[in-house]
Amino acid sequence: MKILLKSATIVDPTSKHHLKKRDVLIEKGIIKKIATAISETSANTISLKNLHISQGWFDSSVSFGEPGYEERETLENGLRVAAKSGFTAVAVNANTNPVTDSKSDIKFLKSKIHNSPVDLYPTGALTTGSQGVDLAELYDMQNEGAVSFYDYQKPITNANLLKIALQYVQNFNGLVQSFPLEVSVAKNGMVNEEVNGTKLGLKGIPALSEELQIARDLYLLEYTGGRLHIPTISTAASVQLIKEAKKKGLQVTCSVCINHLYLTDDVLESFDTDYKVLPPLRTEKDRRALLKGLKDGIIDGVTSDHNPIDVEHKRTEFDHALFGSIGLESCFGALLKVTDLEAAINSLTRLKSTFGVVSSSIAEGAPANLSLFNPDVEWIFTEESILSTSKNTALKNQTMKGNVYGIINNNQLVINE
Amino acid sequence: MKELSVNHLLGIKYITKEDIQLIFETADHFKEVINRPIKKVPSLRDITIANLFFENSTRTRLSFELAEKRLSADVINFSAASSSVKKGETLIDTVNNILSMKVDMVVMRHPNPGAGVFLSKHINSSIINAGDGAHEHPTQALLDCFSIREKLGKVAGKKVVIVGDILHSRVALSNIFALQKLGAKVKVCGPKTLIPKYIEKLGVEVEGNLIKALEWCDVANMLRVQNERMDISYFPTTREYAQQFGLTKKILDSLNKEIVVMHPGPINRGVEITSDVADSKQAIILDQVQNGVAIRMAVIYLLASKIKHHED
Repeated sequence: MKILLKSATIVDPTSKHHLKKRDVLIEKGIIKKIATAISETSANTISLKNLHISQGWFDSSVSFGEPGYEERETLENGLRVAAKSGFTAVAVNANTNPVTDSKSDIKFLKSKIHNSPVDLYPTGALTTGSQGVDLAELYDMQNEGAVSFYDYQKPITNANLLKIALQYVQNFNGLVQSFPLEVSVAKNGMVNEEVNGTKLGLKGIPALSEELQIARDLYLLEYTGGRLHIPTISTAASVQLIKEAKKKGLQVTCSVCINHLYLTDDVLESFDTDYKVLPPLRTEKDRRALLKGLKDGIIDGVTSDHNPIDVEHKRTEFDHALFGSIGLESCFGALLKVTDLEAAINSLTRLKSTFGVVSSSIAEGAPANLSLFNPDVEWIFTEESILSTSKNTALKNQTMKGNVYGIINNNQLVINE
Repeated sequence: MKELSVNHLLGIKYITKEDIQLIFETADHFKEVINRPIKKVPSLRDITIANLFFENSTRTRLSFELAEKRLSADVINFSAASSSVKKGETLIDTVNNILSMKVDMVVMRHPNPGAGVFLSKHINSSIINAGDGAHEHPTQALLDCFSIREKLGKVAGKKVVIVGDILHSRVALSNIFALQKLGAKVKVCGPKTLIPKYIEKLGVEVEGNLIKALEWCDVANMLRVQNERMDISYFPTTREYAQQFGLTKKILDSLNKEIVVMHPGPINRGVEITSDVADSKQAIILDQVQNGVAIRMAVIYLLASKIKHHED
């Protein structure tokens, strides 16, 4: 297949064509030529308004339900959503049923993604059944393709377990993720512990519970060495803790969920369960600190933390609703509302190296692994914009900036109609 | 005729000061009615009300039922602690099943904060929140303020201290909102473990010492210690709680003024207040109960008249 991208602005600081408008010819999945004007009649010519391209985006935390929760999302549709949302690679969480905690579970995931334009990187559970008791067969899973080990949103309560995990994976350079929540402090909390939650009588999750766990984890990391990824931090003090750890030279990375960059707990007013997410939405002060942390490079990347939940588990009393929001579809549009273009692209690609996701500069001879978008258009994210099977979005009716056209990856082109 | 700004009573924070005043004026009238030899008026003969109690309650349920019956409404009662959840039925389905039997109004108590707000978005009926978790208990706050107004002439400018478990208390939250709307000053007092960390952002002051709080106030609202809502121990023993936050006759008499003592009930005698305080003339606990019926009649009457208006 030959694809010719006409007048595409290349956004890739590692490329010599950075911020230049170029024609890009792609043949059999490889970038054949980049020039100011290319004419190739035999190619599928793509000419889109204000077309921009960047290295393909990666999301380090998405949940697709399959196996076990296909009513929430399937792998097939999940990957379609990812492609249409501009992502060429996703790391899929182990929060399936059964939990992805063995080589055969990883194999199952791999078997379902035949010929997908989106690369799927499985996340294996850290412990058997994500029960937090015994380590799963991490080495075996990594050999089968698992890129990190994480009991999705289940905090590791046993400090010794994390210590052992961090030590054990060093022999094969594994990556451990630890969800930042100290459960005895957070106990049964639903929302940020602040005045908004107080007004609603909802049990609070103090910022302290996140910071306490991160502080503990960093102490352990300092002792063990190895690599630790802290997913979805949400408070100002967490940014500070990670900043200090990085200064010490610890191999720690962290992510932030797009919802926490865009929203605060002010939206809770009406007990809308779409805003019930974990970590909870925090204050404006936290939101600003997270944005600054991202800008300063303390936070390594943005995730959509895409977590489809069926309507039965959302259209219920706040206490009974499950935590989670979808996010792939709105991730880029929301991100551009809060950061500039280069920072946005950086935060959607930088975690690739942490998770061992292949990446290459936009250059002749390199694989065509590209996200296609128009960064300048503003639009409203409504229910009609949702491609996911589940509709639980915390960003409904919010203004987005930047429209995704699609992706080119694995010698395939996906374009939104 | 004046009417409420809302179609439901979901919480004090959703109504205006004018709404509260209208409810009080209406309750004045109904208080007179319930002290007549014939305590009943035919106002709501064509209205059917369902009392849905998903959490145990005796006094609130009886008070609502009495209010409804004195207005000549038809009443059905449903009380099942979380039974619908146990059987797998959703709250919306449970309530819609009952509403399909042509019910005009729902009075609901529920263990989850926001249950009334949630329901109001999905069903087509007027809802009165009779307590939703630790969120709000608006009729309790209304009757408390009504009782203060009755006893002290007005609420504006009065100093009210709410003592006890503020963290788990819908009564405290609704009272704070109502008292502030009516111009009273509010302090809360209790063990620090039972005071929400950010409560001061609601414009209330926190006082850790009961005597100081009492010396400051005109009214002390002594909340019940809600052991059933506590998942962990917030203080070592009720004995120790009573030592610090229990109101005794001795303390009451030591104050240089006569304060009003309130309690939303049921009282743990000897814990929040001693028996001699509960039975003293400064306590208006039984007035609160009587005013509860009048306030609930007023709320039901005003919401029902909006339904009727709508139908006309």
